[in-house]
Amino acid sequence: MKESFVYLSKWKWFGCCWRVVFFIARLVVFVCIADVGWGESGGVAVSKRGVIDRFVAGAAKDRGLALSSEAERRVLFRRLSFDLTGLPPEERLLEEDSGSWGRGAVEKFVDALIASPRFGERMASMWMNVARYAEDQAHLVDDRVETFYPNAYLYRQWVVDAFNADMPFDRFVRLQLAADFYDFARREDLPALGFIGLGPKYYQRNRLEVMADEWEDRVDTVTRGLLGLTVACARCHDHKFDPISTEDYYALAGVFASTELVNAPYGEVPKEAASDDKRGLLYTVHIVREAEPRDLNVFVRGDVERKGPVVPRRFMSLFYQGEPPAFTEGSGRKELAEAIVSPENLLAAKVFVNRVWQMFFGHGLVRTPSNFGALGESPSHPGLLEHLAERFVDQGWSAKRLVREIVLSATYRQSSRNNEVFAERDSENRYLWRMNRRRLTVEMWRDSLLFVAGNLDYEGGRSMELDDPQNHRRTLYGRVSRLKLNPLLQRYDYPDPNVHSGKRAVTTTPLQKLFLLNGEFVIKQARMFARRLQREATGNRERIRKAYRHLFFREPAEEELRIGLDFLAEEGESNSRWDLYAQTLLISNEASYLD
Amino acid sequence: MRTPIRFREGFRNVSSLSRRQMLGMSAAGFGMLGLMSVLGNSQLGGNTLSNRRYPLPRAKRVIFLFMNGGPSHLDTFDHKPALRKAEGQHPSGKLYKESTATGFMPSPFVFRQHGQSGLKVSETLPELAKVIDDCCIVKSMKTDIPNHEPALLQMHTGNIQPIRPSFGSWLIYGLGAANENLPSYVVLRPSTKIVVGPALWSNGFLPAKYQATSIDTSDLRVEAMLSHLKNPEFSFAQQREQVDLARRLNQLHRKDRAEDSALEAEIEAMETAYRMQIAATDALDVQKEPQHVRESYGSTPFAQSCLIARRLAEAGVRCVTVYYTLKSNQPWDTHTNHDASHKKLCVDSDKAAAALIRDLKSRGMLDDTLVVWGGEFGRTPYSEIRNKKKAPGRDHHHTAFSMLFAGGGVKRGFSYGRSDEFGMNVVHQPMHVHDFHATLLYLMGLDHKALTYRYSGRDFRLTDVHGNVAHDLID
Repeated sequence: MKESFVYLSKWKWFGCCWRVVFFIARLVVFVCIADVGWGESGGVAVSKRGVIDRFVAGAAKDRGLALSSEAERRVLFRRLSFDLTGLPPEERLLEEDSGSWGRGAVEKFVDALIASPRFGERMASMWMNVARYAEDQAHLVDDRVETFYPNAYLYRQWVVDAFNADMPFDRFVRLQLAADFYDFARREDLPALGFIGLGPKYYQRNRLEVMADEWEDRVDTVTRGLLGLTVACARCHDHKFDPISTEDYYALAGVFASTELVNAPYGEVPKEAASDDKRGLLYTVHIVREAEPRDLNVFVRGDVERKGPVVPRRFMSLFYQGEPPAFTEGSGRKELAEAIVSPENLLAAKVFVNRVWQMFFGHGLVRTPSNFGALGESPSHPGLLEHLAERFVDQGWSAKRLVREIVLSATYRQSSRNNEVFAERDSENRYLWRMNRRRLTVEMWRDSLLFVAGNLDYEGGRSMELDDPQNHRRTLYGRVSRLKLNPLLQRYDYPDPNVHSGKRAVTTTPLQKLFLLNGEFVIKQARMFARRLQREATGNRERIRKAYRHLFFREPAEEELRIGLDFLAEEGESNSRWDLYAQTLLISNEASYLD
Repeated sequence: MRTPIRFREGFRNVSSLSRRQMLGMSAAGFGMLGLMSVLGNSQLGGNTLSNRRYPLPRAKRVIFLFMNGGPSHLDTFDHKPALRKAEGQHPSGKLYKESTATGFMPSPFVFRQHGQSGLKVSETLPELAKVIDDCCIVKSMKTDIPNHEPALLQMHTGNIQPIRPSFGSWLIYGLGAANENLPSYVVLRPSTKIVVGPALWSNGFLPAKYQATSIDTSDLRVEAMLSHLKNPEFSFAQQREQVDLARRLNQLHRKDRAEDSALEAEIEAMETAYRMQIAATDALDVQKEPQHVRESYGSTPFAQSCLIARRLAEAGVRCVTVYYTLKSNQPWDTHTNHDASHKKLCVDSDKAAAALIRDLKSRGMLDDTLVVWGGEFGRTPYSEIRNKKKAPGRDHHHTAFSMLFAGGGVKRGFSYGRSDEFGMNVVHQPMHVHDFHATLLYLMGLDHKALTYRYSGRDFRLTDVHGNVAHDLID
C-alpha cells in the first residue's frame, strides 16, 4: 500500500488519473472494511464504531488481532485530560454525582476539554517543536544580543490563540508563511510570521555560505514541518530516494533568499526606548519580510563557489506535470503557502493529521512524522490516513473536529492492558490492538506537579526561566534557548530547538532521577502537595486517599493504603514525614505514565 | 568509601543480534543493560547500530584538554627556523587572513630535542617535554574555517553549524556506559563562559541519554559542581527509605503491566541515581587526593580540573573534556602581545597536562586512555597588529596546526605529519578534523563509517561523508 501514501513519484506518471483510480480503490477498501466485525475481545458497542474504528478493526482483523475493550472510565478521563489539556483531571470528577459516569459523559468531558483555553496550549506544545521555536541563538559573541528574540513569545501566544479559536489549518499555514500578503490577515496576525522569523541566525551572516546555511534551515523547517519531505537533503545532490532535485531545493531556497528576518516595531514604543537599540528591541516583533527578490544559482554539491544554472523560485516539481510555474509575487511566500495548502495536494493535511494522531497514540500512523518520503516508514493504516486527511480538509481544516473524532473513537478509548497472544503477533502495537502506554512529556509532567500542589499559574505572555523558583506557570511558557537549553527540558528529551523536530525521543536516565530525588522544584512541590492534603483531609488514611485521587485519579488499593500508613507511622516530625511521602508519590512511575 | 565499579568492554559485532533478541536476553536476566543502551531506546525505533567487525579498542576512554582560542603551533611543537630568515617578508598566495602587519614572525622561544625520541619541544612547555617520549605530536592538523565559532563546532561535532551531536555523545552512543553509576560524558569548565557554549557538547539529535554532564569547576566543592547530588533536607538514610518506598509502589504499579520494560528501566534508573549520589560525589572530590598529587597538577582551576578528569576516567567515565578558560573565555586567542601571553598560558597548561600523563602512566591507565591536547586551530606564522600600543599578535590559522596525543594506542615519541617550512600549510600526512574524529573513534573501537544514526531521513555520522583513519600514528 506504499504507493497509496505519498504518491510522490506516481504523481507525475498518473497525472490526473491517479485520483480517479485511487478514489475507486478507496471505495472498494471502505466497503470491505465496513463489513468487518469486532473479533474476539469485542466489547465495544457497535453503535459507537466510527470510521476510524472500521479502518483500525479491519487492519487488526487481517492480522489476527482485535481491538481491546474500552478502558476504565477513570483511566480514560485521566488520559483525555492529559492529552487534550496537558493537565490531570480535577479530583472532584471522581465523585458519583459529578456526572462523569453516565451516558454521554465522555462526549461532554471531551467537549469541555477542547473548549478550554488549555487545549490551545497543549496543541501549541506540539507546534513549538515543529517550528523549532526558540528565543535566542546558539551563538553569543561578546554579549551581543541583537540577534536574540526577546519577544518570541508573541508568536507562541499567537499559536495558542489560533488553536483555541480553531483557526482553519490552511489559514494557520498561510499566515505563518505570508501574513503580510493576505488581506484577511489582521494586525494581530503579524507575529505568525515568527514561524520563519524566529529562525536561527548563524555566525558571520555577511558570508554567502553562512546565509546558505540559514536558507537551508528555512527550507528544512517548511518542508519537513509542513510537508513531511526532507528537501534539505537536495542541497548538495538530487535526493537519492525521493523525486526531489537540487533545482527543487534552490527554487525554494530562493524564496527565503528573497526575504530577511527583521525586528518590526510592534505595539506602542515609549519615547525613551525608541532611541535605545537594546530597549527598542523589546517593542518589536520578530518576523520575516520581503527583500529584493532573487533567484539562486544551484550551488554545485552545496559549494557556494561553484555556481550552476539559475533556478526560478517555484514549488517542487514532483507536484506538477512538467515544469512548475515560477513564483511572481515578490519572494513568492504567498504562492508557496498556497501550493502547500492547495486542495489538490493532501500532503500538508496528512502530515498535520499524522502529527495530531501521534500526540494521542505516541506514534503516528506514519511513524516518521517529518519524513513521508521513501526513507520514512510507510503508514500502518494508509487508507485511514487518507480518509482522515480528506475529512480534515472537507470539514474546513478544523483541528478541533479532528481531535474530537480521534479521541472519541473506540480505538483511542481502548484499554492499554497487555494481551500476550496479540503481543506475540504485533509486539510494537502497530495495528493498535490496545492503547499505547505513554510517559508524560516534560511539559505535562512539570505542569501536573504544579497542578496537584495547587500552585499552577495560568498566566502566559512573556517567557520566564523555568529555573526561576517563582515560576509556577505552565512549562510551555518557559524560555526556550538555543544557546543553552534549560537543563530540565534537556534532561527530559525536549528537542534541540536549533532545528525542526517532529518527534521526541523518550529516554530514562539516572540524571532525571537525581532531579526527582534532590531537585528543589520537586521538593517544593512535594511540600506544597503535602500541606494541601493536610488541609483538605483529616487523618493519614483520608489524606492518602486524597493524594491518590489528586495524583492518580483513583482510590488507593488497600495494600497501598497500608504501605502509606506504615510509612507515615514511623517516628519523626510529622510534616517532614509527609513531605517525604508526598515526594515519593510525585516521583513514582504512575505519576509520569498514562495508561 | 568507594563504590564497586563494573567495567564493561565496548560492544562490537552488535549487528548480528537483532533488537528483539537483545530485549529477550535482557528479560532473561543477562543484564546487558549497557548493550541495551547502545541500541537506543525502544520507543525510538529504527535506529540500530550497525557496527561491523572492527579491531579491538585501544582506548577505553578519552580526555580532551581543550585550549580555547587556538594555541600557536609555531611556539609549541612545530619548530620553524625558516621564519627567522624570512622575518618581515609577507607570505604569498591567497590568504584567508591577510598579512597586514610586519610579515613573518619567528618564535622567540628556544626549541630543544627531548627524551629518547629527540622530539623538539618549545621551552614554554618544559614539563610536557619531559614526557614527550609518551606522546605523539601531530603537526598536520587542518580545519575548514579560521573563526572560533565554526572551528570550535567543527572540532566538536564535525560540522560548522550548531546542529549536530558532539564527538563525546557519538562515543557513548557507540559504546554505552562503562560505569552505570556515573554519567559517561563529562565536560569540565573552569569558568561559566565558553565561546559557543553548550552546542559544543550537545547530544543534538541523539537521544538525551547521550548528553554530556557539564560541570563548572570554578568552585571545587562537590555540591557546587554538580546539582541534585545531595538532598537539601533529607538524610541519606531517609532517602534510602524513600527509594525503597518508591520501589514498592512502583512494583505494585507494575504488577498489571509486567510486559512493559520501560517501567522496569525507570525503577533501575532510580536505584542508579541513588548510588550515583555517592559515586559521583566521590569521583569529583579532589580533596580525596594526597597533597603531593594535587600539587603535581598545580593549583589553577584548569589544573585541578585535569585532576578531576583523571578521577572520573578512573571511575569509568568514557569521555571527559577539560576546557582551558580563565576570565577570558578564549585565553589562547593571542591577537596582541602574543609572545608574553603565550608563555604565561603555557605555564599551568604544561604542568597540568604533563602531570595528567604521568599520573595516568603510574596507574597503568595511559595504555588505554587517550589524552589529547589542542585547540580549535593554530595561529598565523605572520604577525598581526591590532593595537599599536601593544606587542604584535598572531591571527587565527587553520591550514596547519599542531595537536598532542598521548596514550590510548597512539605511537609514543612519534611525530606525525608535516607543515611547510613556515608552518603555513600541511605538506605531509594531513589530518583534517574529520580524520581526527575518524582516528579517535577507531582508537575507541568504533568504525566512523558504521557509527550512524537515522535522523531526518538519512543516516548521519560524526564524520559526515569524510574522514580517514590515520593508521600511521597508531601503535
